[in-house]
Amino acid sequence: MPRFYHDDPAWSDVEPIAQDDGGPNPLAAIAYTDEYSEAMGYLRAVMANNEYSERVLSLTEHIITMNPAHYTVWLYRARALEQTDTSLADEIAWLNPTALMHLKNYQIWHHRQTIIDRLGSPDGEADFIATMLGQDSKNYHVWSYRQWLVKRFGIFDDKELAWTESMIEEDVRNNSAWNHRWFLVVGGRGGQGVSEDIVKREIEYAQTAIRKAPQNESPWNYLRGIIRHAKLPTSTVKSFILAFADLEKPDEVYSSHALDLLADIYIEENKKDKAMKVLDLLANKYDPIRAHYWNYRKGLLEETGAVG
Amino acid sequence: MSLVSGPGRGGMTAIPAELQLFVDKHVRYIQSLDTRKDELEYWLTEHLRLNGLYWGLTALHLLGHPDALPRQEIIGFVLSCLHGNGGFGAAPGHDAHILYTVSGVQILATLNAFDELEERVKDGRKKIGQYIADLQDPETGTFAGDEWGERDTRFLYGALNALSLMNLLHLVNVDKAVEYVQSCANFDGAYGTRPGAESHAGQVFTCVGALTIAGRLDLVDQDKLGAWLSERQLKNGGLNGRPEKKEDVCYSWWVMSSLAMLNKLHWIDGKKLTSFILQCQDPEGGGLADRPGDMVDVFHTVFGLAGLSLLKYPGLAEVDPV
Repeated sequence: MPRFYHDDPAWSDVEPIAQDDGGPNPLAAIAYTDEYSEAMGYLRAVMANNEYSERVLSLTEHIITMNPAHYTVWLYRARALEQTDTSLADEIAWLNPTALMHLKNYQIWHHRQTIIDRLGSPDGEADFIATMLGQDSKNYHVWSYRQWLVKRFGIFDDKELAWTESMIEEDVRNNSAWNHRWFLVVGGRGGQGVSEDIVKREIEYAQTAIRKAPQNESPWNYLRGIIRHAKLPTSTVKSFILAFADLEKPDEVYSSHALDLLADIYIEENKKDKAMKVLDLLANKYDPIRAHYWNYRKGLLEETGAVG
Repeated sequence: MSLVSGPGRGGMTAIPAELQLFVDKHVRYIQSLDTRKDELEYWLTEHLRLNGLYWGLTALHLLGHPDALPRQEIIGFVLSCLHGNGGFGAAPGHDAHILYTVSGVQILATLNAFDELEERVKDGRKKIGQYIADLQDPETGTFAGDEWGERDTRFLYGALNALSLMNLLHLVNVDKAVEYVQSCANFDGAYGTRPGAESHAGQVFTCVGALTIAGRLDLVDQDKLGAWLSERQLKNGGLNGRPEKKEDVCYSWWVMSSLAMLNKLHWIDGKKLTSFILQCQDPEGGGLADRPGDMVDVFHTVFGLAGLSLLKYPGLAEVDPV
């Protein structure tokens, strides 16, 4: 049912302010548009008076339901919540279904962050996030929000790590989940060192994931990131890589990413000829779409005087 | 400029084997967008009106028809979105926000209209510059989107871009901003919206763009980032924005412009990408979609055309990657 304000006694004291768009507005083709433009007229009027009240909350809710991407409305609502004595828990309860209806909306998340920050507790947020990720497991806003929660409330615990693992378990190609794991183990800890045991655990974890889908970019990036972060040589994982790409078996390569790392290993070992052969395989056979990149890598190698 | 999608779809009618760009169709498509005020979506996308106008105008410039929209009317509309505090709203009556302020400045720059700005608004440029400068967080160097305080590297890039167009970069602490951008670099060599946030091609564009404006590309691990960017190309020639995601025409711009700033455009297969972008056209109604079979819209139209321009597609004006 459309909702109108012009015959509502609770709003009789407000004169709506019409949109000034440089000309007369065309007649709305759909009744819903009438409803929207009228509500906006009332919003402009209350904003002109700096009114923060119960009815403003209800008006902003109405407009957000019609158009959640209208950032001014959210901003005004956040102020109204502050000025009136409204239960923040109720606000979150209202936000949940709203966010589910609008998965790609920026404003909802910022609003939620403001409210949860004021509430001072992440209780219930994990469940809500699970529901959201059920709709789109790679939603950038949801993962950014999860990261904010972890940081704001210091949730770098085993439970969070286990949850991240369950997300990777569900879809080993979920790069957002891999990024979250990195944040928990390395990135979010403010430069704190990672112990040898953990480095070993992470290398094994990435390797297990690679075995499931050898051409999946995410765990390879992760593996490379851990090795680099721990300042280990790439040859640390040489035997693992040879199982996916081996110059002895050029027709049985299971992953272009393995070839990429193999080239790094041969460069480390000063085996220029072998590294060249690996890069040739990439440019000509296993990743020809990026031939120019692989040829660039060959060029770099030629410049260095390494002996084969 | 309306952000209404459609009415046509990309790649529905068989595009001839000899792929071509339907320049006139796209020009007419963009011109038609502002006549669709009777559609609901026109009103629901009001919060993006100024961005849409910039995208449409840029597309027309790329297509070699910069005068296809009336210059004076555009300037009038843009200035009607300007607030006394120096910020632009998305449309008249909307709050000021950095995203619209950037679009407003970009449109004025495209139309060479800074003189008209000064005529109609005293000290206009200075006011706009100050509005942007005040959004910088002195502690971290990043920028808020509005007084509400949401932070994102998109805003930081937009701020530097608009200020450099107005020659007002000295109003902000560029070194601090650069420091912040570098704190968004990830283990895979790419960048996210905030420190720790997942790498995303759109965010790479904003970060590399900001560093280019600041003259600090030396801070980027260029080979590593270039490799990550070239990994975005899929077998069908299209580019995605994150590992294991679907291709989308708009990444033809975000990925390609970043590669262009790093001088590594040739690291992707240009022929395959060109053919993918052309498949996304609606050969009859004009416009481009995110991928073949979907509805066309102005956003994907401009970024597809800008991608083609970087690929040196014949007949398109050259675009500046920053």
